[in-house]
Amino acid sequence: MGWLSSIDVLTWIVFLPALGMAAVMLLPSASKRAIRGVAVLVTVLAFALNLYVYVAKFDRWSGAMQLVTEANWIPAFDIFYRVGVDGISLPLLLLNTLLFALAVPASFGIERGVKGYFALFLLLETGVSGVFVSLDFFLFFVFWEVMLLPMYFLIGIWGGPRKEYAAIKFFLYTLVGSVLMLVAMVACYLDAVPHTFDLLKLQELARNGQLDGTRLLHGGILLGLPFQTWLFAFLFIGFAIKVPVFPFHTWLPDAHVEAPTPISVILAGILLKLGGYGMLRINFPFAPQAFQDAGTFLALLGVINIVYGAFVAMAQTDFKKLVAYSSVSHMGYMLLGFAAGTTWSVNGAMLQMLTHGVSSAMLFLVVGVIYDRAHHRDIARFGGLSQRMPFYFGLSSLGIFTSLGLPGLAGFVSEAMSLAGSYEKFPTLVVISVIGVVITAAFFLWTIQRVFLGPLDEKYASLPEISAREVVSQAPLAVLCVALGIFPVLVLNWQMPAIETFLRLIAPK
Amino acid sequence: MPSTYAEDLARILPETVLALGACFALVADLLWKGRESRRVGTIALIAIAASVFALLRQEPRPAIAFGMVTVDGFGALFKVFVAATLAVVVLFAHSSRELPRHGAGEFYFLLLSAGVGAYFLVSTTNLLLLVLALELLGLASYVLAGFAKGDRRSAEAALKYLVFGAAATGVMLFGLSILFGLTGSLDAREMASILAGKAADPASGEAVDRFRVAGPAVAIAVVLAFVGFGYKVSAVPFHWWAPDVYEGAPTPVTTFLAVASKGAAFGALLRFSAALLPSPAMGEGAAAFSGKLGSLLALISAVTMTLGNLAALRQTNLKRLLAYSSIAHAGYTLMGVATLEPGGFETSVFYLFAYYFMNLGAFGAVIYFARSTGNEDIDSLRGLGWRAPFVSGCVVVFLLSLVGIPPTVGFFGKWYLFLAAWNAGFGWLTVVAALNAVVSLFYYFRIVKALYFSPESEAVFHHRPVPSLAAILGLLTVGTFWFGPFPETIRAACAESVRFLF
Repeated sequence: MGWLSSIDVLTWIVFLPALGMAAVMLLPSASKRAIRGVAVLVTVLAFALNLYVYVAKFDRWSGAMQLVTEANWIPAFDIFYRVGVDGISLPLLLLNTLLFALAVPASFGIERGVKGYFALFLLLETGVSGVFVSLDFFLFFVFWEVMLLPMYFLIGIWGGPRKEYAAIKFFLYTLVGSVLMLVAMVACYLDAVPHTFDLLKLQELARNGQLDGTRLLHGGILLGLPFQTWLFAFLFIGFAIKVPVFPFHTWLPDAHVEAPTPISVILAGILLKLGGYGMLRINFPFAPQAFQDAGTFLALLGVINIVYGAFVAMAQTDFKKLVAYSSVSHMGYMLLGFAAGTTWSVNGAMLQMLTHGVSSAMLFLVVGVIYDRAHHRDIARFGGLSQRMPFYFGLSSLGIFTSLGLPGLAGFVSEAMSLAGSYEKFPTLVVISVIGVVITAAFFLWTIQRVFLGPLDEKYASLPEISAREVVSQAPLAVLCVALGIFPVLVLNWQMPAIETFLRLIAPK
Repeated sequence: MPSTYAEDLARILPETVLALGACFALVADLLWKGRESRRVGTIALIAIAASVFALLRQEPRPAIAFGMVTVDGFGALFKVFVAATLAVVVLFAHSSRELPRHGAGEFYFLLLSAGVGAYFLVSTTNLLLLVLALELLGLASYVLAGFAKGDRRSAEAALKYLVFGAAATGVMLFGLSILFGLTGSLDAREMASILAGKAADPASGEAVDRFRVAGPAVAIAVVLAFVGFGYKVSAVPFHWWAPDVYEGAPTPVTTFLAVASKGAAFGALLRFSAALLPSPAMGEGAAAFSGKLGSLLALISAVTMTLGNLAALRQTNLKRLLAYSSIAHAGYTLMGVATLEPGGFETSVFYLFAYYFMNLGAFGAVIYFARSTGNEDIDSLRGLGWRAPFVSGCVVVFLLSLVGIPPTVGFFGKWYLFLAAWNAGFGWLTVVAALNAVVSLFYYFRIVKALYFSPESEAVFHHRPVPSLAAILGLLTVGTFWFGPFPETIRAACAESVRFLF
């Protein structure tokens, strides 16, 4: 078994789910219990390994890439299998493995095509984990694309009434982003001397102003704009679609509303973060000057996300759609924080990704619980549910209060940090975005009132309380909502050195 | 050193074997009184295998047989490509119900003859042999397209193919005759060296670069010659025949046209372009001409892929959809040709191999689906994904590859083309091609949607795929997956083969 231990731990985290997928494919479709068992086993194991890395193997005082492994892949094009983590990717990777492990029990309610469901589910996990650990642009892109197909099927087969539309819309939007990224990737590769896909080397070249397109375009200028601007724009649109940043957000509500609950959890909890992660790892460091120039524009987009997302969320009658638009709003804080580019704002934005990952995952689980029982999600038709389901009410409130940024809970810390950190650079925009905070509080509180308070409708008098299986999915998230609110250092201490490194890469010369 | 007749004969052994196999198949069918179509098919398979065997035993050193057949690694690679397609087509013919019960002898005879044509097509710079090979391939194909005798669409396909083919070949011949008139040679390589020489200026009588005098005529001739190739590879604007012929012809024949015939035509185009490529010795005018030719090809490439993809969006018939998709893929493949560089040619050859896996797979699935549903409409595939999980799973892989999503071979092929095109200065073409991939997703995944998302259609009659068809689909799926992440074997072979051209 010597060769087993010779494979590094990150590779295990990435490919364990793929092995699980192979195992699921080999099992007969009738043995649903065994299939679910395999899924639980591999996702929990991947999470455990990841936690072990987070706690024991990772040096949190260092801002450098760690646990780097490299192997030749396609030598003719300098393509390597190159993985590693730093303080930016590791917390997101941990969130990813956690959410997948929690989404497995939430998927036990799925009865149709269980085998296919879990095979695709596990493939999705491999894709997402792979993106977080890739240090090679080509590898990054391959993993990025590997996510598309499982997601398409998971929405399209197991989704709601308009699933076909939602699935292809998701696929098309994301693919547009991908091809823009692909074009940018080819350009970076050809422009780099020597040709390379190494993300760290490309960052370094960009930092030294050597990724300027002079080897591709005459004078590095295309249609009057410098290469760096084009590169920034292509990459930014590619990642902005994933975040999603206004005006590329319209796929998100459709995908969320139609996706089955566990897939919404994954989508909101982790897939949206890939866009933000891509910006931190590739987009901004590859075009630092363009990033500095575009700062105000990005901040403006962020504020539009915050305010517009909140207003649209307020207008929703579908509980799930409301949560989906609240995600759009929350991702705005992240973009605003990035755009400001100060230590605090970027730390806050990064933390916002994690806390939103926790709180939105929780909210989608909350919506799933009520949808499973009442078979609709129309906020106006509920009322007084707290009387029948007090424990469920407690969990839901925790999720909602985290999401609206109640002090003491996780969401507050990250939002406050992003806004406070951005204030020195964009005072006006920060003041405007406070409108979003107020609106968010308003629609969430209004939702609590309409769903849980007031008189209980007779129709819902027999709804059963939240089950043990559902609690299993939500409890760890509930703990995190509180824990990250009180001890944000659990993440901040890990990410800060890496964010310092990032800030050095994008600092103006 | 002149070679003996026996040596020359040995050099065209693969072609000879295939031709003999064709005759054997015809005679055997007569002897078996048309009752043993499977055994005739086996004869064809044996002939194909024997010709591949002969190919692999050829000495690696390039040689010329009979003064006109170039025997080299490039030709060998394309012949293997054609032979591998032929073998799959024979097996498809076994599992298809479109072909009449009788006439197996004629069918395999024509198929192998077309194969012989394709073999010669990829192994000559002699324009006379080039046209002959093109005609042999074409004539056999016309008849094959009309092979389903009772079917009106099949007859229409044959006629359309013939008429378009005659016109295109005529234009091409006209172009080639201009080249012949200019140089007095039939060999493209010789032409290039003659054009690189000096000539007397008609006005002053001084010796100037011959290309400066003959340049415009060469340009016209080359463009006219391209019409013939453009027709065979179904590049816009010579693509009009493709949808009708692909739809009307029996599916195994369509497969042959879409893969073997197109691949061989690309092989010939690459060899012809490489041989005639203006060299620096021809002076400044030649370099400018070469640049313009590249731009023209790039433009054709962009238009071809865009038009193919846009037209495919509205198709409801599987074969018609694949026809437009095949036009689009011709456009992608042309990206590498447009570079007019060895590095770019190599990517085109690689893309043809990627195309081999994914397109053969798609056509194999069409044969299966046509048998299950009784027609070729996308709509009647509804819900089949659950009843026929194996074939449908394979189809998803092929379609992913056709769109160009990693980790499939189609992705690597596209990526490789993008890199080459951009490296040659066609960055805009890379962007166009990348956006085209998004468009193509929409129509390819309508098939996936029908298979998996829609409620089951009543008309579906599920049957297990014929073992040989299932095996081919399985192998092609494995190939599509394997050569994506691990393209090195094929890529190295392509790079190696292209070196013979320059």
